[in-house]
Amino acid sequence: MGKYDKFFASAKAAGIKEIELYIGESHGIDISIFHGEIDNYSDNNGMTIVARGIFENAKCGSASCDTWNKEKADYLIREIVNNAKVIENEDPVFIFKGSEKYHKVNTFNKDLEKVSIETKIAKLKELETAIKAEDPRVSEVGTSSYSESFQKTTILNSNGLNLVQKSNYFYYAAEVVATENGQSKSGFDLFFDSDFSKFDVKALAKKCAEEATSQLGCVSCPAKKYKAVLSQDSVNSLISVYISHTDAEQVQKKSSLFIGQVGKQIASKKLTVEDKPLAKNAFARWFDDEGVATYNKSIIKNGVLQTYLYNLTTAAKDGVTTTGNAQGAGSKKSTGPFFLSVKPGKKSLDELFAKVGNGVYITGVTGLHSGMNPQSGDFSLQASGFEIKDGKKGKPFDLITVSGNLLDVFKDIVDVGNDVKVSPSGISTPSISIKKLGVSGQ
Amino acid sequence: MISKKLAIEVLNCALSTGADYAEIFYEDSHTVSVALENGKVETSSSNSLNGVGLRLLKENQCIYGYTNDLTRKGLLALADSLNKSFSGKQIVFVDHLDKVKAKDRNKIKQDYDSIPLEEKVALLKEADDAIAALNDPRIIRRICRMNLWHRGVAVFNSKSLWFKRDTQFAHSAVGAIATDGKGFQQGYEGVGCQDDLSFYKTEAGSLVIAAKKAANTALALLSAAECPAGKMPVVIGNGFGGVLFHESCGHPLEASAVSKGLSFYKPEQIGTLVASPLVSAVDDSTIPYEWGSIDIDDEGVPGEKRILIKNGKLQDFMIDDLSGRRMNRKGNGACRRQNYRYVPTSRMSNTYICAGKSTPEEIIKATKLGLYAVSFGGGQVDPSTGEFNFGCSEAYIIRDGKVCEMVKGATLIGKGFEILKNIDMVGNDLRLAVGFCGASSGRVYTSVGQPTLRVSECTVGGRGGELK
Repeated sequence: MGKYDKFFASAKAAGIKEIELYIGESHGIDISIFHGEIDNYSDNNGMTIVARGIFENAKCGSASCDTWNKEKADYLIREIVNNAKVIENEDPVFIFKGSEKYHKVNTFNKDLEKVSIETKIAKLKELETAIKAEDPRVSEVGTSSYSESFQKTTILNSNGLNLVQKSNYFYYAAEVVATENGQSKSGFDLFFDSDFSKFDVKALAKKCAEEATSQLGCVSCPAKKYKAVLSQDSVNSLISVYISHTDAEQVQKKSSLFIGQVGKQIASKKLTVEDKPLAKNAFARWFDDEGVATYNKSIIKNGVLQTYLYNLTTAAKDGVTTTGNAQGAGSKKSTGPFFLSVKPGKKSLDELFAKVGNGVYITGVTGLHSGMNPQSGDFSLQASGFEIKDGKKGKPFDLITVSGNLLDVFKDIVDVGNDVKVSPSGISTPSISIKKLGVSGQ
Repeated sequence: MISKKLAIEVLNCALSTGADYAEIFYEDSHTVSVALENGKVETSSSNSLNGVGLRLLKENQCIYGYTNDLTRKGLLALADSLNKSFSGKQIVFVDHLDKVKAKDRNKIKQDYDSIPLEEKVALLKEADDAIAALNDPRIIRRICRMNLWHRGVAVFNSKSLWFKRDTQFAHSAVGAIATDGKGFQQGYEGVGCQDDLSFYKTEAGSLVIAAKKAANTALALLSAAECPAGKMPVVIGNGFGGVLFHESCGHPLEASAVSKGLSFYKPEQIGTLVASPLVSAVDDSTIPYEWGSIDIDDEGVPGEKRILIKNGKLQDFMIDDLSGRRMNRKGNGACRRQNYRYVPTSRMSNTYICAGKSTPEEIIKATKLGLYAVSFGGGQVDPSTGEFNFGCSEAYIIRDGKVCEMVKGATLIGKGFEILKNIDMVGNDLRLAVGFCGASSGRVYTSVGQPTLRVSECTVGGRGGELK
């Protein structure tokens, strides 16, 4: 502990009974190129120190800063006290002593740092060239970018907890504009991993170009309800809002769609959703943001809700054990899954199309912050997609919206695909087909 | 703060390998955030940001890095690491720094720090009380939040310029979640200013009025019908309705997109008709104490009133120096960033469509069947294709020139360049509203605005079937 001993002692002298530091140290490199030249190169070292403490009045105040010196240490203590004094919420607060056992997972790939920056830039330039070579209709490659991030998270507190986890990852991404007959469509895709040797320039170039070119020659879509296949990306967008209703705090505050639903059928039997913080990938977290050991769990199994997601405070209120899902560095933790995984089924995407026969294939939805009512689950979202005709993927649609309710979408699942895509936000999803989806277009 | 002497030393170190521009962005800011739920303070937290961002430009290349080590050694190490991207000789030298002269339009009158936290909580409690006084059991959560920022910035650059910018701004979000046992609805209102906190006691800034409005919207939405879908005339309300212009046309007018050919607007279109002749639009960072105003931008260019569109003809763009290099233009005071951790670029400030001649009543009366979109939850745009989407937070059906039933779940989609051409009536009731805008240089505070206006045809998404 050493470096922070004096700080803990000063906090105690100021009336803070228990105190915790959540320290995030990061190093990131971001490089983008435009027309073969480096357009932006950023090399950043940052630190975030969040302190929270339980004051004499049993309230938990918090304060944060990004440099560590005497002045900032004094600031943290003063602000924890000031903030704790105005807090009125009666919920129990905890500075955790530690779990009995932790299942450590390695999330740091030391080989990533060994690849030279020149190699990383060379691959980026190859990517831009390869996208342009993919299709003559590619009119512009907006920016092609490379990012890598190293993060070290430390939680230490006056109750003896001292946990450290290091992680790193990189991604390549490109934005592509394709033009034909005066019509422009854009596309974006990325490759994300912590193992540099897995990156395939040609494969990403092909996907980026196809994202844009496949939407050219689009047709309008008559407004009505269709049988639909939702792509991995679309399922990803919808499932994250859906699962946010398993946050125990929302349930306790009576604003969750899943109140009183544990053990009950809330979705199609085809749907199984897990939180896998101990999966061997870049999203693994072997302790949550309160320092509690994490574990893999089913959230929904064959359509039946298994559990809400808890932190120490919400668990104490419900008289249960925390599920180790605390997230966030401040005085009040939210909860959420660390690696949300929808269990894949057996059918291929083509088999999903074949079974739908005639309908729509929704490849992506956007505008969730405005078109999704997170409380009711009602949505009306801008989408991109294709017609499904005679069991096969057909022409792309021009601007469309899809609308419905999240509860209905996951009740209406017909089949779950065997194709899985993992997004940088830590969500793994297959394609799914559903009975009906409202679509309207121009 | 860092001294001018040290700034000169760091700039010369950054420039030593051939960069043609270097800039130190020093920041010392702090924030206080308080949140009430059902009348009780649930969280209160403070945050301090203190760091330096260093930017080097050479032709069209930008090199950026930031650090929290603000010692001479730390800053020189950063400069020395970034200058390795170039390998030439120093071509720009800095031997002095002159202070940029700019108007102090948003001078701090009352330091937020001098007001006890309890008084800030009291403002939120008044708002909460207003919702509680509705005494409606369908309201299950009352949520009132306030964020107060004090932002201290100093910039030193190789044009031998330096300046300090000290600003403070406050933003409150008040609202409620209501249920009828079958589903949930929410209503929120945001109120922000750069002025002192007495603003919240004025009619324009009243948290009490905002809280009541938000709660009533949540309640009304419980019984609202689903919005019909299809193409229809859409009347867009004043104030936050301006987010439509911000997203669909404002972003595509930023030099960051235009300079790379990634916007549907091109520099050669200046002087040509891009909108209905009824439309004039500006981005004005000089309005005193307005939410999105800045006296000097991050490159040291004083605030400007940029005329973007005049009588339907394209006039100008929001430009930062780096994007300007690809367009043969200089920055026009639009270069901004969230904080020292972000590379700055061209951004909006207070962006609005100018007032026209019709009254809002005339616009409604002239509409036989359509949608009245009073306010939006937000939206987004792809500047390259112009495709946008907006979710309506409050909307009604217009029948025979009258505002009729409320509808929920309405989304507007379209292409920015088409919608501007389809504006066929512009009202005389211009109003600005506060918001936050997210883009590559982070989340910056911007105002949007417009008078009530009508789009002759727009695609509406919703679950209510055909409009009849």
